[in-house]
Amino acid sequence: MADIYVSNVKAYKAKKIASNVLLYAFLVIVALTILLPFYWMILSSLKSTVQIEQVPPILLMAPSDWKITNYTDLFVLVQSGQRAGEPLFPFFTYMKNTVVVSIITTIGTTITTVLAAFAFARLNFKGRDILFAILLGTMMVPGEIFILTNFVTVYRLGWYSISNQTYLDVLLAMTIPFMTSVFYIFYLRQTFKQIPNELYYAAKVDGTTDFKYLLKVMIPIALPTIITIIILNSMGAWSAYIWPALISCKDEYRLVSNGLRGAFTDTSTGRTDYGQQMAASVLVTLPLLILFFAFRKQIMRGVSRSGIKG
Amino acid sequence: MEKKNNLRAWLYLAPLLILMAVFTFYPLINAFIVSSYKGYLPLSGTADEIDFFYNFGVILKNPLFKKAVINTFIIAGVSVPVSILLSLLIAVSLKSIPKLKGFFQTIYFLPYVTNTIAIGMAFAFMFHEDYGVINLILGWFGISPVNWLGGTASYAAQMIALLILTIWNGLAFKILVFTSGLENIDKQYYDAAKIDSASKWTVFKRITVPLLSPLILYISITSVIGALKAYNSVVGLFGDVKLGAQNNSMITIVAFVYQYKDGYTDKGYISYAAAASIILFFITAVISILQTVVSKKRVHY
Amino acid sequence: MEIKMANLTKIFISKDKKEVHAVDHVDLVIPSGKLIGLLGPSGCGKSTTLYLIAGLLRQTEGEIYFGEEEMSETPPEKRGIGLVFQNYALYPHMTVRENILFPLENLKVEKEEAKKRTFEMAKLVGLEEMLDRKPKELSGGQQQRVAIARALVKTPRVLLLDEPLSNLDARLRLQTREEIKRIQRETKITTVFVTHDQEEAMSISDEIVVMKDGIIQQMGEPQEVYDKPTNLFVAKFLGNPQINVFDGEIKNKEILIENMFVGKRDLPDQKVFIGVRPEGFIIDQENKSSFHFKVDLVETIGRDTTLIFDMQDDSINILDKKTFKAIIDAGFRIKAGDVVHFNIKPEKMHLFDINGTIL
Ligand SMILES: Nc1ncnc2c1ncn2[C@@H]1O[C@H](COP(=O)(O)OP(=O)(O)OP(=O)(O)O)[C@@H](O)[C@H]1O
Ligand SMILES: [Mg+2]
Repeated sequence: MADIYVSNVKAYKAKKIASNVLLYAFLVIVALTILLPFYWMILSSLKSTVQIEQVPPILLMAPSDWKITNYTDLFVLVQSGQRAGEPLFPFFTYMKNTVVVSIITTIGTTITTVLAAFAFARLNFKGRDILFAILLGTMMVPGEIFILTNFVTVYRLGWYSISNQTYLDVLLAMTIPFMTSVFYIFYLRQTFKQIPNELYYAAKVDGTTDFKYLLKVMIPIALPTIITIIILNSMGAWSAYIWPALISCKDEYRLVSNGLRGAFTDTSTGRTDYGQQMAASVLVTLPLLILFFAFRKQIMRGVSRSGIKG
Repeated sequence: MEKKNNLRAWLYLAPLLILMAVFTFYPLINAFIVSSYKGYLPLSGTADEIDFFYNFGVILKNPLFKKAVINTFIIAGVSVPVSILLSLLIAVSLKSIPKLKGFFQTIYFLPYVTNTIAIGMAFAFMFHEDYGVINLILGWFGISPVNWLGGTASYAAQMIALLILTIWNGLAFKILVFTSGLENIDKQYYDAAKIDSASKWTVFKRITVPLLSPLILYISITSVIGALKAYNSVVGLFGDVKLGAQNNSMITIVAFVYQYKDGYTDKGYISYAAAASIILFFITAVISILQTVVSKKRVHY
Repeated sequence: MEIKMANLTKIFISKDKKEVHAVDHVDLVIPSGKLIGLLGPSGCGKSTTLYLIAGLLRQTEGEIYFGEEEMSETPPEKRGIGLVFQNYALYPHMTVRENILFPLENLKVEKEEAKKRTFEMAKLVGLEEMLDRKPKELSGGQQQRVAIARALVKTPRVLLLDEPLSNLDARLRLQTREEIKRIQRETKITTVFVTHDQEEAMSISDEIVVMKDGIIQQMGEPQEVYDKPTNLFVAKFLGNPQINVFDGEIKNKEILIENMFVGKRDLPDQKVFIGVRPEGFIIDQENKSSFHFKVDLVETIGRDTTLIFDMQDDSINILDKKTFKAIIDAGFRIKAGDVVHFNIKPEKMHLFDINGTIL
């Protein structure tokens, strides 16, 4: 029996080193795979048309060879046609639209979420648990079920009109339907529930109103969660694709994702200008990455918590 | 007092409930109603007749819908297990390098903070037959260039490209969640396993996976739901008109629903869309229920 | 399997960058086949010592030998160790059977053989009826026995137990303690039993090791350590009720407590601490002894009567406390308020210098 314990220390060490090498190799290869699309996107955006169509492709380029013409070309004004006078890729217009939509939606979502989470966490009322269960149930429903009816609703509300849609109409159509999130309510309710009941009773005894208690006690205590919700929610507008495309009647009302796809392919020749396409992709990706690196800890903590608790 | 309390609560809920009534509950119910109309015109609200099965029949007979279902199932069936297994392995590997963990984790998280369309376009160019980096790398291993996305690309090639993009995109969230899940497992179990002479693989199979199984179940359900709704990645790779190297070759259920999006003035179109989206809803529900029931036997808490 | 620790040291770097010497230059030999009680207050480095032996922690300095073999480079899974964790660490998702079987599977023991041994082991700890339960369906005592079975089933060379009884109630503690002792006797596996309960250590161990701040204070058979403590810490740590420690002095070879004569020792004049075990007092029925006090409280439990003396107002200094206790035979009829004269049994009286070292 005891002989199974007799250890060959050298063999063990060699095995350990080998497995460590494998481990790092695995992690580094995964990291490179994750980074490759970013690298390829940036590298391609810095190539000239000739370089981009070189076979085999260039994998490394000295900084001195980098060209920013793809970027500057994006802002060259279109000479003729429907979009005459606009930049080829109206990045700043799309950016502005996206940021405005993101801010309005986030404010709206935060307000409805905080109020509802408070009601579900602190107030006793008839039907609370059933209502909450129903809300959770809606998370299972794919959004595609809503979209066409919502389009008709928006149409009926007068926010969609091919001939005379205003910027305000578009903003309303893009934001109002998205000002609720059951998931965030669930998430914030958990945080609210952890705040001890005693605080609430103490406040009641002092004659504090519910609303004041929410503002002065609950929100400050739950602020980290609320900030996480704000950050996560404001990233949403960047990926929104189908609804903004559906609802905006004019090119200048679209959001970044929409502007991106479809542009850069010459409809008459079918040729795609990959350099410009990649430059535009970089521009669209950059704001998100900047936001991420500014709030890295909060975003990662928020996302991981949302994953674990759900 | 009770009454007053009730009223106050509904006041707090009012903004949420009003919005949801209009933009969630009404459309949900409406989808079922609309799916039972024949010849429905949404703007005028008129229909020829009520027939509960007509639209479903039309959709289910449509070969394009069949194709969409098959594509969607392949996407979900391959990308979910592969990405879950990969992210588990990565999370476990990260655990054994505490010093560099944060660094790698940040890199792995990057796909989460990108725009799917933008990154899809970058992938499209990576998979370009002549100018793309993928074929360049394959060339190092002696593999001749593959036509991934071009007009004559094979079904398998397109699907592989789409799967790679989907998996790449989904890894970030899963790695992060599994890493934090692992941190919550008591270190003593791992000490005990060492004392019990368990090999690394045994520890993974017999300790880590079972203790993480509730989380794995949760993540796999949400991932399947997400994968069944695949759309943006197809648009990123192929554009929202073609939806594939050949027209509609990579169409998904969601893309199938959306092809009716401009048809609100056409008779009956919106009913088709409603029927298709209800089928998607049922598929989603059935799969998540099945998953929960099947895993109940294997999940340990 | 004899375990030898030479100059063993473990230094942790705490969060605020301070060094914690959890185990400090320990030299210790644990004889083969013996059950050793490792004893000390919370945080003194007991668990750390066990984890070093097990290989779960890597020492900062020093060596560990199993027999002749130096173990530093040997990983825990190759050391042939059974370890019962402070809170058992049973795998929650496995049944009792699977928990016990797990180490055997990993050691690639043949299936039938493994099954047989699992059952035998379950029987040894009296759990053969509960093999298909999950840990959370067991009581604390049963869980603890599963942990012991899991540690023993692979016939380890060394068995390490980290406060295995700390979660049990008093009755179960006694019972399981006896069981561990019995199993150890039967298997003859070298065993280290960690506890901070001195009574537990004294009753179960062949030898005890007293530890404080990562440093070994004393090692020996329980009675010997109790009777001949090498320093004040050990004297105070062992024994219940605790030893009474008086401030005293030696003058002309006479031991005095506040000028009351209590004995003689051939030592130079100096201030000393005088430790007297509660059972070291003998009542002087002729009231000749000058060492006398008024009784404040009398407690009789079973055969023993405990006299409690409150020194609040007296000039006598007693270390740490303001009372001292004497245990006398229940035959004496003494009540509160009586004045009692004592003699002290020389072998129950220990003199320490002002640094606490035995004289
Ligand atoms: N991982 C660690 N990092 C820093 N300090 C540690 C670590 N583990 C233990 N220590 C410190 O080392 C000292 C000894 O700890 P150890 O766990 O060995 O004590 P113990 O005698 O087992 O106590 P207890 O009876 O409470 O279990 C303590 O001061 C503890 O704070
Ligand atoms: Mg301990």
